[in-house]
Amino acid sequence: MKRSIKSISVLVCICATVAVLLAMTNYLTAPIIQKTEQENASAALLEVLPDGGSFELVDTSAYTLPSTVSEVYKAENGGYVVKLSTTGYSAGMVIMCGISADGRVVGTKLIASAETPAIGGTAADTFAGSVVGKDVESVDGVDTIAGATKTTAAYRSAVKDALNTVIILGGGSVDIRTEEEILADNLSSALPSANGEFDKYFFVEVLDGVDAIYTANNNSGAVCVIGEKFIAVDTDAKVLSECSDAEAQAVRSAIEKISSTVITDIDLTAYEGLPKQLISAKITATGNYIIEIKAAGYGIAGGNEYHPASGKYIEIRVSLSADGRIIDCLTLSEEETDGIGSACADERFYGQFDGKTEENYDDIDAISGATITTDGYKKAILRAFECVKIFEGGEK
Amino acid sequence: MKKNNGFSVLMNGIIKENPVFVLILGTCPTLATTTNVFGAFGMGISTLIVLICSNILISLLRKVIPDNVRIPCYIVIIAGFVTIVQMVVHAFFPALYDMLGVYLALIVVNCIILGRAEMFASKNSVGRSALDGLGMGIGFTLALCSIAVIREVLGAASFAGIAIPFLADYKIDFLVKAPGGMVVYGLLIALVSALTFGKSPKKKEFSCAGCPGAKLCGSAACHGEKHEEKEEK
Repeated sequence: MKRSIKSISVLVCICATVAVLLAMTNYLTAPIIQKTEQENASAALLEVLPDGGSFELVDTSAYTLPSTVSEVYKAENGGYVVKLSTTGYSAGMVIMCGISADGRVVGTKLIASAETPAIGGTAADTFAGSVVGKDVESVDGVDTIAGATKTTAAYRSAVKDALNTVIILGGGSVDIRTEEEILADNLSSALPSANGEFDKYFFVEVLDGVDAIYTANNNSGAVCVIGEKFIAVDTDAKVLSECSDAEAQAVRSAIEKISSTVITDIDLTAYEGLPKQLISAKITATGNYIIEIKAAGYGIAGGNEYHPASGKYIEIRVSLSADGRIIDCLTLSEEETDGIGSACADERFYGQFDGKTEENYDDIDAISGATITTDGYKKAILRAFECVKIFEGGEK
Repeated sequence: MKKNNGFSVLMNGIIKENPVFVLILGTCPTLATTTNVFGAFGMGISTLIVLICSNILISLLRKVIPDNVRIPCYIVIIAGFVTIVQMVVHAFFPALYDMLGVYLALIVVNCIILGRAEMFASKNSVGRSALDGLGMGIGFTLALCSIAVIREVLGAASFAGIAIPFLADYKIDFLVKAPGGMVVYGLLIALVSALTFGKSPKKKEFSCAGCPGAKLCGSAACHGEKHEEKEEK
């Protein structure tokens, strides 16, 4: 009994002493360990904001920030480091941007990218140097680098987003809407009765002086775009918005032209040699053609283990004058790879064909990373030109 | 245990009873941490510190610790020192801490340390125990470093993380992997055996004495141990 009590007490004493020693060591080393870990974490942040001191992750859930912003850190000296991910020539550009307390770029770094190393990669390094010291206004003045326009333009807009983020976090307000959102807002304010639902009118005639027409889905009228101006008209072609007489005249004649357009279906069986991709063709009273045609994009001609082909064609509607000039072009449907080939449904892509002829239709910017989609699309446009020639050549 | 002078106690651990090459103890950390000279050296030094400290403390407490709870006591003492070393390494050598990972904490169950506590420190004076810890620690460090130099230089064409350019095309990747480590280990055991032939202790001298359960073991081979114990008392 006495022996076991001795054993227990010795063991307890040893355990207690060791525990005290450990507590003391922990007390001495824990702050150093914490400091080292913080330093490691902030080393990347210090690269873009060398005087930042220590950093703290900012909770941005209460703010509406540009969609490119992924993380924001506040530095001890009042500056910020913003981490952004954006798309240059290809997706996955991650940029760290250090911004001083007075809203100027201190340093930026491209920490991950899939840009072409010899082109976009080196351009990004050069560009990173030229944005230093810029604020939210002067950053627009930094030129993109020739040969790497997409990379540097994306870089610039990311830096601008970072600068805007700092303004927003500082309590300021900044217009961070995307182009689509700005358009939707402008349309809604021009014609509130449409409840914000518009369709872009597909031009089948050359309408002088009007850049685009958006018709309200609930038939309450339309909005004509002339330059920067949004002019609303009601169903009786009465101009609702304030504008000059010339603009009102242009709008009225455009609306009149649209409403008087007579469209007739073309009997495809009456012609020989039409491409089999042709879906339908129509002719207007003024002799313009509206052609709907299938394009074999990635969904038909592509496909690999990562991005399987959907087996679906891209459907395109294109209107052409009798002499073979494209009036308007629109992607009706597509099932290309999301985020890559799907850009063929973006107006920035198909809008490029407006006004093109068979000679220069090839002269457009391809969708980056989607060569098969672009090539298929161009081939379909070429077939549309051929269709017009066949229709103009007369029935068989 | 033969009564030797301090110097021979120290040298004993380095060559004659080298824990890695002769006693074949601590094989797990030996294979795991010898892919890089820096990591091997760090591991060796960490073990050396724990070994000296635990040897000294256990030797000091050898009269206090009752026989029936000695193993838990040794474990607590060793674990305490290992944790202290671990905290210090984490605080002051973060690169080494990241490299050694879990093997740093596993020094607790390194049989070299428990073996020396049981075999030597619990029976010898503080000074001799400290020297034994130092010798064994140096022996362990040297063994680890010699394996690591071979594996890193020939296997990864670098030394302590610094690349050796002219070897880059002749790397033997196999050596960096676990089987390669085993082969290098085996070859070095053979080499040490050849060099110390006739001088290394006979199997009987350390096989049972090194066993933590020797005192409770009824095997005939342990009689010498029991006999010795009585003599000391």
